Amino acid sequence: MPDEPPPATAATVPTTGQLVRRLLGLAWSYRLHCIGIILIQLVLLTMGIFGLSFIGVGIDYIRHVLTPSVEAPVMPLGYALPLHWEPMQVLLLLAGTILALAMIRAVLNYVYAISINVLVHKKLVLDMRGKVYDKLQRLSFRFYDANTTGSIIQRVTSDVGAVRSFVDQVLIQTVIMVISLSVYLVYMVSLSPGLTIACLATTPLLWIISTVFSRIIQPEYAKNRILADQMVQTLAENVQGIAVTKGSGREEEAQARFDVANNAVLDQQHSIFHKVSLFNPTVSFLTRVNMVVLLSYGGVLVIRGELALGAGLVVFAGLLEQFSGQVNNVANLANTVQQSLIGARRVFEILDAPIEVKSDPEAVRRPKLKGHVRFDNVSFAYTGIEQVLKEVNFEVKPGECVAILGATGAGKSVLMSLIPRFYDATEGSLLIDSIDVRRIHLDDLRRNIGLVFQESFLFSNSVAANIAFGHPEATLEQVTKAAKIASAHDFIMDLPKDYDTILGESGNTLSGGQRQRLAIARAVLLEPSILLLDDPTAAIDSETEEDIFSALDGAMEGRSTFIVAHRLSTLRRADYVIVMDGGRIVQKGTHDELMSQHGPYKRVANLQLVDGRELSQSPFPQTEKEDA
Amino acid sequence: MKETAVKDKNITVVEKTREEQAEAQFRPLQWGLIRRLFSYTGPVKTKLRVLIGLALLRAMLLPALIFLSSRIISGTIANGEIEALPLAVLGFALLALFTEGMMHWRQKFALEIGEVVVNRLRHDIFAKMLAQPMSFFHRVKLGRIISRVTSDVETLRVGIQNVFFVSLVQGGQMVVTAVVMALLDLKLFLVVLAMAPVLYMINRHFRVKLSKLTRATQESFSRVTATLAESVTGIRVTQGFVRQETNAGFFRNLLSDHSRYNLALARTSGVLTPLLELNSQFFVAILLLFGGWRTLHGDMSMQSLIQFFFLSNFFFAPVATLGNQYNAALMSMAGAERVFNMIDANPDWEDKATAIDLPNLRRTGGASEDAEVGARVELRNLSFGYVPGKKILHDVNLVVEPGQAIALVGHTGSGKSSIINLISKFYLPTDGEVLIDGHEIRDIRSLSLHRQLGMVQQQNFLFAGTVFDNIRMSKPDATEDEVREAARQLDCLDILEDLPKGLSTDVGEKGAALSVGQRQLVCFTRALLADPRIVILDEATSSIDALTEALLQKALRVLLKGRTSFSVAHRLSTIRDADQVLVLDQGRVVERGIHDELLALGGQYAELYQQFTQVDEDQGEKP
Repeated sequence: MPDEPPPATAATVPTTGQLVRRLLGLAWSYRLHCIGIILIQLVLLTMGIFGLSFIGVGIDYIRHVLTPSVEAPVMPLGYALPLHWEPMQVLLLLAGTILALAMIRAVLNYVYAISINVLVHKKLVLDMRGKVYDKLQRLSFRFYDANTTGSIIQRVTSDVGAVRSFVDQVLIQTVIMVISLSVYLVYMVSLSPGLTIACLATTPLLWIISTVFSRIIQPEYAKNRILADQMVQTLAENVQGIAVTKGSGREEEAQARFDVANNAVLDQQHSIFHKVSLFNPTVSFLTRVNMVVLLSYGGVLVIRGELALGAGLVVFAGLLEQFSGQVNNVANLANTVQQSLIGARRVFEILDAPIEVKSDPEAVRRPKLKGHVRFDNVSFAYTGIEQVLKEVNFEVKPGECVAILGATGAGKSVLMSLIPRFYDATEGSLLIDSIDVRRIHLDDLRRNIGLVFQESFLFSNSVAANIAFGHPEATLEQVTKAAKIASAHDFIMDLPKDYDTILGESGNTLSGGQRQRLAIARAVLLEPSILLLDDPTAAIDSETEEDIFSALDGAMEGRSTFIVAHRLSTLRRADYVIVMDGGRIVQKGTHDELMSQHGPYKRVANLQLVDGRELSQSPFPQTEKEDA
Repeated sequence: MKETAVKDKNITVVEKTREEQAEAQFRPLQWGLIRRLFSYTGPVKTKLRVLIGLALLRAMLLPALIFLSSRIISGTIANGEIEALPLAVLGFALLALFTEGMMHWRQKFALEIGEVVVNRLRHDIFAKMLAQPMSFFHRVKLGRIISRVTSDVETLRVGIQNVFFVSLVQGGQMVVTAVVMALLDLKLFLVVLAMAPVLYMINRHFRVKLSKLTRATQESFSRVTATLAESVTGIRVTQGFVRQETNAGFFRNLLSDHSRYNLALARTSGVLTPLLELNSQFFVAILLLFGGWRTLHGDMSMQSLIQFFFLSNFFFAPVATLGNQYNAALMSMAGAERVFNMIDANPDWEDKATAIDLPNLRRTGGASEDAEVGARVELRNLSFGYVPGKKILHDVNLVVEPGQAIALVGHTGSGKSSIINLISKFYLPTDGEVLIDGHEIRDIRSLSLHRQLGMVQQQNFLFAGTVFDNIRMSKPDATEDEVREAARQLDCLDILEDLPKGLSTDVGEKGAALSVGQRQLVCFTRALLADPRIVILDEATSSIDALTEALLQKALRVLLKGRTSFSVAHRLSTIRDADQVLVLDQGRVVERGIHDELLALGGQYAELYQQFTQVDEDQGEKP
């Protein structure tokens, strides 16, 4: 994932120490639960060791009965067997104890699994995801401009997962591991200190090898993921651009490109495979070395009578196996810590990000604005010094319509974004009903503004829900009314389940024109006094444009309207037009006024008007292309 | 389809599960599929044979190690044979070294073979995909194709790298261990054997349940991410309409839903793991009791009893593993079925075997190098429908002389794009004929036609890479000079060179780094570089703002000069210059002629034209 510098987030990057402290604090808020989990694990561990030792005792007991020269085993906890018991009674007791212990362990294991999952899924993850999502919804657009969709989604999904793994996999597991390793160790030492040292001699080696291996292999895996992503990306591109490939008859080249990406994955894997297949057998061999030590040194101890065969050697073999399992976990731990810290950093970045645009604590409530908008020397820069709006001055009276014309990047959209305070002006002030927008309660302000974007985003939801998006309590009557104003009612009624039709992802099932009309209905439903239309016909066939215009005419009625437009047909509808270039207003006036001036407006208009003239001066001579 | 409804005030939100998720997760083992899968190991056949040998060897070595170590404990050590101990332990150590040494090759070969199969499968899938006609791409979603190449192929990789060889080793290990135990003490072994089915059934039962739950959990998570993705993409709408609170509540519901599935999953696996452990402890207890009884009665030796403790563990361990492997094998089968279905899918149509290459009149003499020889295109009684019985075009007739420009005009759905698709041979006509230079389109090899075609669409798709790479797409062997020359002809070389890194500028994902106009210029240059005889413009300028359009008009004229062209357009400048304008309505040509004639006719064209301009007569006069 791209780790883009997030400009609109916390100013200082926290150190690893701060991060760990904060994560510990997070775990502390679930302390009772955590401690409970650790205690259960401790009990489980102890019972496991007892179970194992009973098997050893059983073996020794049978040996003792068969060959009385072998010493009778000492029962765990110093329990003395009644002397008159038959051997089978003793075995029955031992077997029964093993079973009973196993049953209790099974129940406890279940409880353990449940409680750790409740902690993780019901508390930690739920809380964190909810918080991050809440925060995301409130962050200003600056944040969204600076981060890709994928990266933002990841913060709520895998990054929160990483934070969670710090608590349940790093913190709790570390405590459990430390405890269990010490318990194993203490028990092994109590059986035979010498054997313990001899058998564990390979452990540090195992540790070192695992750590080194993961250092070496991690970057290779990371690289592999990138190569695999590229392969999928190449595939996706070729599907999306299939018309280009096929249209120019370049299938062979496409195949060659894919093969290159595909083979890159294969080639890179070879080195990974080689290393993995060296590492795994090495680790298994090291555990076998432990066995060799156990057999030789332990064997000598047993033969010398210093260690019991069952309760000593056999139990030791069992303990060793469990011990090495725990050791392997330690190697993974280092990785988990690293990953969870990276994730945590990204999550906290969101949680700490300042909300740039928010209501002033003493904001004035204005449930209904009149819609008098005035730009007073407004300048704006996204970041740094480069201003994308420069000293903009103009005024729109209630009910007036202003059209904005300009090339891509001239500042039209930014200018519009200032009105609902998606961004705040860096200089000058924007007044609505003579109040600075920053002093109007944000919710009131936005509820008084209807928005239609260039390409309207519709949610995977019913048509009605989409129209009622800004006012979920709306009645079907209100929804229908809005739809009628937006000339959308007729096509909605033609949909399979009219207002209850569910729109596909991103509203795929509708045409561009239909989607725009739904967006207009959505804006109109709020009865806003200000309407912002950001080039609403840009992505629509001109054949259907006419439908949109009738929708717009209905929508604009009685509202202060700002419309970004290119087509003369739209520009002419406005009370006046402002022409923008490089963040400045370069021309301002009615269509007629601007047509009488030499300037960008006339240039654009002429391009379209050539045809207009023809209409009255037909027949027009069919000339060869007239180039300017 | 599964619906999860969450009440959101009076409006019901339904999250549809994606199509892909409706696919079968498991499939029974099929010999045919397995054989076919292994046929992909072709280039590494020898490795495969060696590997099977290694796996069988390991299946014997592993029990041998256990047998040896238990023998040393229960024999050499228990009997106090201290002189024999060093030799015995040395034997064990050497055997261990050999076993793990062999493991290196066993693992390496399995990984390599799996990857080779995956690589070849991907190649085949992609090749098959390219061979499909356009209708395939309208029918099949991108996500589906991607999941063939990723998750499905991945299950096959697991199938080969893991399932097959691990099962071979573990199954073999069970058999060998069983034989050893039976030889040691048949009666006790029968008791052990009786436990195996129980263990297996428990395991199977839970695995099936677990994988169902896993799937439900994944689905609930994909609802979370889908909603999240929408929230991020639609943030402007959300904030603009002050919906933060409502959305947050809705999202929390989805989160709790997901957490519920997670807990259900945890509960199930929380039962399975302890149950398996309980089972093995149960067995130990029986061994102690029954084995002890037999030993005490002299029916069995102490040594055998101890060895049984070790061996039986080793016998049971694969049961759980094999259960998992079986599950994975069924998943591989489902994956294999989908992958092979894709590879086997017959294209709706293919070029005829007798099809000929369309002669390129521009190159094959007939005319001089710079001669402008466009193609002659004729449509005869052309009818077409994407789905049978639902015709989109009806009896279209048209003769286009070389070099003519044709404009197609009409409402959405009137059939403009269909005509273009037929001339490009992206689809075949349902009835009637398309003749190019007198050759029927069905008799022409697609590739030879496409090489003489230049196409610019509304969605100006650019591939990841540099501007240069993208332009060269239509003629991969073009030199940089040729590319520059093409750009110069279109009068846009300066614009492309003004990009941050000139022609080497990376276009970014989906061309995000370039403006719409710049991207379209790249597409125009791409089309021109191929020096096509037929140019197709499908709404090529509609997504461009008025100021950029002026720039493109000029490029467009250069591109069209001397070539036969078909434009679907709503920009008047394009239509006005056309040699013929075809007005389409519901799949029929309703009017045809040049702009002025049609305007004078006062029919549909004039009406459409009115809508384009919306300029009152009195406005037009101002000079």
